[in-house]
Amino acid sequence: MNASPGPSVAGLDLASIPDRIQSEVQRAIQRSIKGVEYIASSGPSLGSTPKDILAVRGTMNLYHYRPIADEIYRIPILIVMATTNRGYILDMVPGQSFIEFLLKRGYDVYMLDWTAPKPEEKSLRMEDYVLDFIPDCIRRVQQDSGETDVTVIGYCFGGVLSLLYGSIFNDGPMKNLICFTTPIDFREMKLFSNFSDRRYFDVDRLVDSIGNVPPEMILSSFEMLRPASRAASQVQLWENIWNDEYVKAYRMMDRWGTDTLPLAGEYFRAITKDLMWDNKLFNDTMSVGGRAADISKIKVPILHAVAEHDHIVPYEAAKHLIAKVGSTDKEEVILKGGHVSVVAGANAIKRLWPKLDSWLCERSI
Amino acid sequence: MADKSNDPVAMWQNMIGEMEKGFNSFANQAMASPEFSKVVNQVGGVTAGAQKQLGDVMEKYLVGMNLPSRAQMVSMAERLQSIEGQLNEIKAMLNAMNSNAAAATGVPVAPRPPRTRRPPSAGEPK
Repeated sequence: MNASPGPSVAGLDLASIPDRIQSEVQRAIQRSIKGVEYIASSGPSLGSTPKDILAVRGTMNLYHYRPIADEIYRIPILIVMATTNRGYILDMVPGQSFIEFLLKRGYDVYMLDWTAPKPEEKSLRMEDYVLDFIPDCIRRVQQDSGETDVTVIGYCFGGVLSLLYGSIFNDGPMKNLICFTTPIDFREMKLFSNFSDRRYFDVDRLVDSIGNVPPEMILSSFEMLRPASRAASQVQLWENIWNDEYVKAYRMMDRWGTDTLPLAGEYFRAITKDLMWDNKLFNDTMSVGGRAADISKIKVPILHAVAEHDHIVPYEAAKHLIAKVGSTDKEEVILKGGHVSVVAGANAIKRLWPKLDSWLCERSI
Repeated sequence: MADKSNDPVAMWQNMIGEMEKGFNSFANQAMASPEFSKVVNQVGGVTAGAQKQLGDVMEKYLVGMNLPSRAQMVSMAERLQSIEGQLNEIKAMLNAMNSNAAAATGVPVAPRPPRTRRPPSAGEPK
């Protein structure tokens, strides 16, 4: 039964005002209590899905997540994480973990994650990542799983590394490729492109003087894309600090967002010169360690998931991927969300993850 | 249901959202100019160089005080992490050797699930 509306002034329901005031007072009290709790507590534990470490070699870490289904698909998955961020974005907390979702749906999941390169690893080059770390992990996945075929999932720059790997090792063993928010036309990452304008940005001097590129510099360049958002998110946090679910989600994303990794100096130099300046991946002139990396050589089934409101990898930077790969079985999905929320936010549970499962399950047998 | 257009809290939230969008958009336009790139890279280059020099000076000072620097502590933590990783690798190798030995002697080991899963047919719950 609908209550009859009370008197109103300028559209404001006067009868609701006492309730609203009471609710706001309660929230203000809760804000004070929870605000103290927020400062005193350490936040949720992230990345807790049980796993075994199969290999650690400098910056490279290979994990195997323990299967939880009674029966799993034949082809294992290797997730290649972006080199700027930690892999726990895909394994936040139970109920909001992409890894847990995959395990429950019967996949055998491995992850190539990165730790901060040490000062002596400043000389790691693009070829160390593409021709050594990824093939090494693929070999170890094959050995551990007993299967020859492997599905590769690359997130953001992990997608770029997976594309480079797939274009060089185009006769296997990669069986399927899934890219999340992966740029290939670096001219279209307009602000990054402007920050690294070759007329003013002396990458050689930077790398030669500081070695590895510090995480603060990487984080600042991400934050400069939306300079007001950090302050606005703090205001929103204060408003919603009475809401435990909001605070939990905020802390998870905030911790991950600020937990940026440094980049190995030589690797950063190659990214700047080959991708940001010369746009070689898009121009089909990319090579890694003297081996041509032409993505039209990739013939395996490929799915590319992009985010409608991605401020880090705008759609224009990602949209040519599907057209340029040589696969006949290929699909692009554009999903609502931003660069991170499309893969790890609350909506990913409803949008990306089921889509990925329905695409991959029939290609994993 | 309350009319959102007259709800002061909703109006405040909306205003914050709009201000954020407006400022981001304005700043993005400003940052897209070559002049911005020039200034940022000049300042950034100087700052990075200065930070590096300051870090080197601090490192020498801490050595003089017989104290470890942050970089040394981080390096030590990472080496510990690496040792843990190698221990895990040894553990994985031992487990693998154990499984092989168990298979050879016919002793059952904790099996991994079979790789026989098939995609659910249409309408079947996942």
